[in-house]
Amino acid sequence: MANVLVRVNSAPKQQLAASLLPLFKNIQIRSNSAQVSTPPPQTKTKFGGLADQDRVFTNLYGRHDWRLKGAMKRGDWYKTKEILEKGVDWILNEIKASGLRGRGGAGFPSGMKWSFMNKPSDGRPKYLVVNADEGEPGTCKDREIMRHDPHKLIEGCLIAGRAMGARAAYIYIRGEFYNEASNMQLAIAEAYQAGLLGKNACNSGYDFDVFMHRGAGAYICGEETALIESLEGKQGKPRLKPPFPADVGVFGCPTTVANVETVAVAPTICRRGGVWFASFGRTRNSGTKLFNISGHVNNPCTVEEEMSIPLKELIERHCGGVRGGWDNLLGIIPGGSSTPIIPKDVCAEALMDFDGLVACQTSLGTAAIIVMDKSTDVIKAIARLIAFYKHESCGQCTPCREGVSWMNKIMTRFVSGNARPDEIDMLWEVSKQIEGHSICALGDGAAWPVQGLIRHFRPVIEQRMQDFEKRQEATN
Amino acid sequence: MAAREPAKRIIQQVRPILSVDREEARQRVINLYKAWHRTAPFIVEKFDIPKSVPQVRQKLKEEFIKNKDVSDVRVIDMLVIKGQMELKEITKIWKQKGHIMRYWQESIEYKPNDFLSKFMSGHN
Amino acid sequence: MLRAPMFRALVLAQLPSRAGILFTTSRMQSNAPAKAPEKIEVFIDDQPVMVAPGTTVLQAAAQVGVEIPRFCYHERLAVAGNCRMCLVEVEKSPKPVAACAMPVMKGWRIKTNSDMTRKAREGVMEFLLSNHPLDCPICDQGGECDLQDQAMAFGSDRSRFTDINHAGKRAVEDKDIGPLVKTIMTRCIHCTRCIRFASEVAGVDDLGTTGRGNEMQVGMYVEKLFLTELSGNVIDLCPVGALTNKPYSFVARPWEIRKVDSIDVLDALGSNIVVSTRTGEVLRILPRENEDINEEWLSDKSRFACDGLKRQRLITPMLRKPDGEFEAVEWESALITAAQAIRNAPKDKIAAVAGSLVDAEQLVAVKDLLNRLGSELLCTEQKFPTADGTSGTDLRSNYLLNSSIASCEDADLVLLVGTNPRYEAPLLNTRLRKGYVHKEQDIAYIGPEVDLSYRYEYLGNRSLTIEDIAKGKHPFAQRLKQAKRPLIIVGANALARNDGKAYIAALQSFARQLKPEDKNWKVWNVLQTNASQVAALDVGYKPGVEEVLAAQPKVLFLLGADGNAVNKENIPKDCFVIYQGHHGDQGAQLAHAILPGAAYTEKQGTYVNTEGRAQQTLVAVSPPGMAREDWKIIRALSEVVGTVLPYDTLDELRNRMEDIAPHLVRYGHLEENNFYAQAEQLIKTQASSFQGDVDVNQKSLEDFFMTDSITRASPTMAKCVAAVKKAQATG
Repeated sequence: MANVLVRVNSAPKQQLAASLLPLFKNIQIRSNSAQVSTPPPQTKTKFGGLADQDRVFTNLYGRHDWRLKGAMKRGDWYKTKEILEKGVDWILNEIKASGLRGRGGAGFPSGMKWSFMNKPSDGRPKYLVVNADEGEPGTCKDREIMRHDPHKLIEGCLIAGRAMGARAAYIYIRGEFYNEASNMQLAIAEAYQAGLLGKNACNSGYDFDVFMHRGAGAYICGEETALIESLEGKQGKPRLKPPFPADVGVFGCPTTVANVETVAVAPTICRRGGVWFASFGRTRNSGTKLFNISGHVNNPCTVEEEMSIPLKELIERHCGGVRGGWDNLLGIIPGGSSTPIIPKDVCAEALMDFDGLVACQTSLGTAAIIVMDKSTDVIKAIARLIAFYKHESCGQCTPCREGVSWMNKIMTRFVSGNARPDEIDMLWEVSKQIEGHSICALGDGAAWPVQGLIRHFRPVIEQRMQDFEKRQEATN
Repeated sequence: MAAREPAKRIIQQVRPILSVDREEARQRVINLYKAWHRTAPFIVEKFDIPKSVPQVRQKLKEEFIKNKDVSDVRVIDMLVIKGQMELKEITKIWKQKGHIMRYWQESIEYKPNDFLSKFMSGHN
Repeated sequence: MLRAPMFRALVLAQLPSRAGILFTTSRMQSNAPAKAPEKIEVFIDDQPVMVAPGTTVLQAAAQVGVEIPRFCYHERLAVAGNCRMCLVEVEKSPKPVAACAMPVMKGWRIKTNSDMTRKAREGVMEFLLSNHPLDCPICDQGGECDLQDQAMAFGSDRSRFTDINHAGKRAVEDKDIGPLVKTIMTRCIHCTRCIRFASEVAGVDDLGTTGRGNEMQVGMYVEKLFLTELSGNVIDLCPVGALTNKPYSFVARPWEIRKVDSIDVLDALGSNIVVSTRTGEVLRILPRENEDINEEWLSDKSRFACDGLKRQRLITPMLRKPDGEFEAVEWESALITAAQAIRNAPKDKIAAVAGSLVDAEQLVAVKDLLNRLGSELLCTEQKFPTADGTSGTDLRSNYLLNSSIASCEDADLVLLVGTNPRYEAPLLNTRLRKGYVHKEQDIAYIGPEVDLSYRYEYLGNRSLTIEDIAKGKHPFAQRLKQAKRPLIIVGANALARNDGKAYIAALQSFARQLKPEDKNWKVWNVLQTNASQVAALDVGYKPGVEEVLAAQPKVLFLLGADGNAVNKENIPKDCFVIYQGHHGDQGAQLAHAILPGAAYTEKQGTYVNTEGRAQQTLVAVSPPGMAREDWKIIRALSEVVGTVLPYDTLDELRNRMEDIAPHLVRYGHLEENNFYAQAEQLIKTQASSFQGDVDVNQKSLEDFFMTDSITRASPTMAKCVAAVKKAQATG
């Protein structure tokens, strides 16, 4: 162990030296002849029940060795050189064919995003930045990957980096993830020593470095431009867009920021083919996905499942059902704390994919499912989320800085019921004044839970106000 | 009718205030002057001004002579009326000492014209 | 325009290795041939307008006269886009866009007055006000507050903010950032204009934000002073009353004051100012926009020294009694005494020394008087090596900042010799910093090591270096020769030395050898430090007092000469000294007769700045007590002496000035200079050599604040000096 640590310490110096060498020979001009694949038309009608042989993350629960040896046994780093040698177009084509959409929450098609980087070089190096600042309450998928399958991510960095002609990848990891960071760093060191990274990575003739950077614990640093700022050593405050990171990103160079899961599935997609990946889930929502189910279920877990699986089936199959049975369900936040809550009747119909949840006026987000049964004080739950967003707002732009703390004040009163019913409409308006008016999406993310609450649980709020008034009258 | 209009206007123009002719006006002026003349010792005494009776009469004369060239009967009458008002204000002691002394005060200071005087006085 | 990645600014903070990479990359971008941009058409409220690509929505709207409200956006600062006040609707866009940061796209239909836009503005305004204290009645910004104005124009008519728990609005502790800027941080709306000004224009990264969310604060990170020569500008930039003018606090309301446009004379740039007065008292000085000179900034000295105009003033003529005490007298006796002394003196023994704050009118009047009396002994306080050492006449191009102030930022290589522009001319320094940060300008410097607020190439302080450069032996000479737009700026104080001639001889002929890309580019520049110097040289004053004192004058006029060039030691013993000026400073102590004059806010006077641009001050208040406009004193004296000057009014005097030097009355106009070759020829005929190292007068901030009679009388400036010294002492 001590040996390894010594080697870890010496690795970054080599990386630094390598990074100073100009390295643009690998950039290829894409030809237009490459046929752009589109996902196959929808034929499947039943989703869910992912077979073991179709799982991407085979060590999700840490039952096997996460080191290089174990990872290679599970198929990582297998013929990576050949994948790299197939070229940029091939990789991008496979990703496009797979229909992979970003797993960080916004769900932007990854193939398209990565291809934005393939503009002719103007002399600046390009970078891949992996967003491992997993801070969304309820979300715990990236940490499992980094803790138990770090080599998937590192190989993904190499392949994704190759696809966009990046010089290096920066993994910005959440500061609180101590074990994950230490596993990641060891895995990176292993990869360097095995010649899988660094100069002439995997003997492909391609030079690629991976750096890991630990954050200092701010939710907002998970926003891509704030992450870039933080990586540059500044305060983690989102930048204005445009210019987008693909033009001016980290250190002023073209950059793509991608989620850990997105990057980590790329090698498997390349190995097994985009069509294989696209065979799961509905069209435009294809693939497998890590779902994190927490809250009032019998068996909270993180599980890899097929996209478009019905929400109810997901909970019943993997979590042993809602505590006290499905009828005891109050509502579910389906995609991490920033997505609107949906009540039980909607949950029964919801399909867990991007389009399916948009149809329910919510969003897939990071697929962090927070289940609440009828014992939950839903107003208090949402108020707690708003308090979280108030605490994590960076304070740069007005709507978020002032609006979220105002919402927090109102929500605090709603919890006790000390408010007038017309303030519910005012809160709705305030949330609308924040949504879409801020620099980054944190403002939206803070507004949506409130909107979800008002949309589905307005009678509960009103009832509480009436109760409060009665109590007041009684005491007077 | 057309012929009567100018005549009417002339009559309007000369319509007297008090006096119908110069002679009557003159008489009024003399009466006023006499009244003022008699009041002079009263002014000196009652207002306790640092002037003697002859000085007051001298000023009185100056004030009257200022208007010696007024020939319009109506203007003369008006001046006489004002003179009577002034006299009344003095005899009733509606005026005060300062008002009387103002007759001896030179009120207009002429502004300097040449550069140097302007400079010295600061008027530039 | 957009938040441009400020590579040059980054360099200071980055590791050298990475900086190197960035350096070359940004340069590569800038050297790429610029394509002629094709204009694109956008619609502002259905009004078509053609704009260059990259124009922001806000700028495009400004082109058709639609003003979009903003707080954080400022033309001269990087775009922050954080106030969100400028949100406008763009057709087919689901959410409003920030007009200040969003570049327009072809065919965009922008709606600046739609429901969505109005709602967005109202929402932002409501949010801003929800934590903004209702301080307006006691706030110094009241009446000239952007937040007030925009709340009236775009805000809601009522407040929905309820606070039944009485938790109160956000309260923030005030910070002590120095004697000039008062902070009431609770009022801050976090527009970050001050932060951006400090780091981009002033070049001090002192201001920043700490905390996040609703607890975010603008401040200095640690408790210290905001020490820069440009700190006052953050007061103007602040859209609310968070940063206000400390000496002016609780003094006046904007609707009570009268504003007079004028010119600053405390350095040689002639910054345009607005003098705010009330009941005959100068209350404050603000900058006035002039793209050619000060943009819209003003140095702290020019802004805050105005309280010096009320102290130490000479308000009555005075004569020295036999016992050595001064006695206040009427103008008449003062003028007669002075005239007697003049009449008793031999005709060629009457002399005049002009100080640093004298206007051209007075200079011309004094020169006319002395010439008529038969004397030629006229000089300025500050020395300058004239082209022709004997006659004193000179060629203009010798002593001017020939390439104008504005084009200093376009130079690609600048050599500063014996000048510290940061303190001698702070607003020229901002130009150089602008060139350095945004336009790839490189700057080299010869003189004692100083902080110029940007990185420069330090060539040492040996005068030998200048010689080497002039002879082409120094490596830097080659770089100057290769530069497309080189600039050599020499400080007036370096040239005022005894070996000033050597500087001018060496550098001017070298400047002539350089071949700039543009034939009209002027390489040779002198940075003057005195506001009166250029006008004095223009009308034929000799620079330097030695010659005049050597003539043993019997009568000596000191025209505001407080610079200690004439002092107790070198003044002839039996000389009758007439001091004419506005402050009882060093010059007045030597006088036998004191004639009180007017300061620059009290007269209509012409000043020529260091680039040769004539500008005039206007009367903001009347001179105090018995003080008079300066040229009138001379005109009155001439009459008492018996040699009457032929002008009674300012217009007549200005006609006379036009006869002497036509450019003096072409206000605001920059006269082209030539005769560079002749100037060089004249210089070359005189042998000279360097003595000692290159030096500058103002090395650090404490030297900046007190440089002339007005600033020495100013309590605010004294506080500044004390504050800086204290800050230095405590580390």
